[in-house]
Amino acid sequence: MSGLIIDQVSKRFGALEALRSISVDVAPGEFVSIVGPSGCGKTTLMRVIAGLEKPDSGSVSVNGKRVTGPGIDRGFVFQADSLLPWKTIWENAVLGLKLNGKLDAEATERTRKLLKLTGLTGFENFWPGQLSGGMRQRVNLARALALDPAVLLMDEPFSALDAQTREIMQAELLKIWEVGRKTVLFITHQIDEAIFLADKVVVLGRRPGRVKEVIPIEFDRPRELRLKRDPKFVELVDHIWSLIEGDVRDSVSEDAAASAA
Amino acid sequence: MSAKQIVAGQPTAGRPGGGLRLFQADWLAPVASILGGLLLWELFARFIIRNPLFLAAPSDVAVQIAELLGTGELQKHMAVSGAEFAIGLVLSIVIGIGMGFVLASSSIARKVAGPWIACLYATPTIAVAPLIILWFGIDIWSKVIVVVVNAVFPVIINTEAGLRATDRKLLETVECLGASKVQLFWNVMFPSAIPYILAGVRLAVGRAIVSVVVGELFGARAGLGFMLAQASEVFNMPRLFAAVVVLAFAGLVLTTLAQMLERALQPWNRV
Repeated sequence: MSGLIIDQVSKRFGALEALRSISVDVAPGEFVSIVGPSGCGKTTLMRVIAGLEKPDSGSVSVNGKRVTGPGIDRGFVFQADSLLPWKTIWENAVLGLKLNGKLDAEATERTRKLLKLTGLTGFENFWPGQLSGGMRQRVNLARALALDPAVLLMDEPFSALDAQTREIMQAELLKIWEVGRKTVLFITHQIDEAIFLADKVVVLGRRPGRVKEVIPIEFDRPRELRLKRDPKFVELVDHIWSLIEGDVRDSVSEDAAASAA
Repeated sequence: MSAKQIVAGQPTAGRPGGGLRLFQADWLAPVASILGGLLLWELFARFIIRNPLFLAAPSDVAVQIAELLGTGELQKHMAVSGAEFAIGLVLSIVIGIGMGFVLASSSIARKVAGPWIACLYATPTIAVAPLIILWFGIDIWSKVIVVVVNAVFPVIINTEAGLRATDRKLLETVECLGASKVQLFWNVMFPSAIPYILAGVRLAVGRAIVSVVVGELFGARAGLGFMLAQASEVFNMPRLFAAVVVLAFAGLVLTTLAQMLERALQPWNRV
């Protein structure tokens, strides 16, 4: 079986059931979004896929190979600022290649092209501190793609950006994705972002984190940002919102109770 | 034409806000402050104290320094003190970073050695200088040991704190890029600890200077502290002040060097 298979993954932290039997398939070349309220176990799921956390039961496999720890068959783009401040943009972009002794002429050329694709040509010798949040996240994307991973995993990569930059980054991500059609699993709490990007949206519920519904998204590609104002798009957003609204309310009132206590 | 106009006509170094004007603003005030202080000192010594046994005027000190330089005596003392300082500081940095690393990576080491280091860091270990001179003699190695005993602790403590303060998210990110433990150390932990280590080194520099002088006061054949002790025994004030001025100047140079080192080692913080 190729692609990314998450098979009945469960995980507990003491009394807290973070994930209950989560199953998600991402076919090769497919873009799948996972959307859910805070506390639905998105981050735990990502850490299990990364191999940073062991599931209590179930398994994750990439192209038929079971995940037992961190590995470069999976490329990660985390929330903002996972660049090394003491390395230049170029050194950050080729970091994965260098660590694995794979920085040959071909990989150098591929990285150069990726930086061009992500609009970073000319910034190779800058320090991350000199770049905006949006540009830094593009470097993270280029760094993950430079290793040519089987699966690209993105964990709320745009959550630290302002709303307008986020919109632009979504459109740019799709443009970059159209070029190579990588297998992508994209985790977010933003419903419109999940729908706009994906071929399939997996909706998670909270306490315990579990799959509520899997919704195929059948809009044509390439997609433009104005798709977000399409009535069918708005209808999908409403539907997903109705699925998770109760959970979000619970999570908000829990937060309120916690801060009142 | 006023000075400002001349400056405005000069090409700047290329950075906004940089260039000649900033240079003036940065240097003018400290230099004027030092010169003004020297002038006050001179006037005070010449017209108010008027007794060279109590206070030597800066001009007398300058003459004395010139004479000592002429005979080569000052160079000899500076070389000895400089060697004690340099060897002691390098040893402190190497041992300090090494021990800091061991403490950061092993909780057993932390439990066993932690209390000792905390105690010794807080103790004025300079107080054991006479003992060390007694044990190890009056040549330069006894002073090197005094320096290490005093200067190593800030380096140990800061290295450990710096390594342990490494951002866990950065570590996991780089681990996901396929880094080994050794690669994680050199690519993430060590660079992220550099600011802490350098702050420790700066503290160590100050402690090392004091250690050299105090060590030499208690027993030496040469060195600035030795020269100072000799001069004070015979009330040779110009000579005593010559030693103090040279030490002050060395302190200034070393502090500047430390700042330059901090900038050179962290180019990413310059932006």
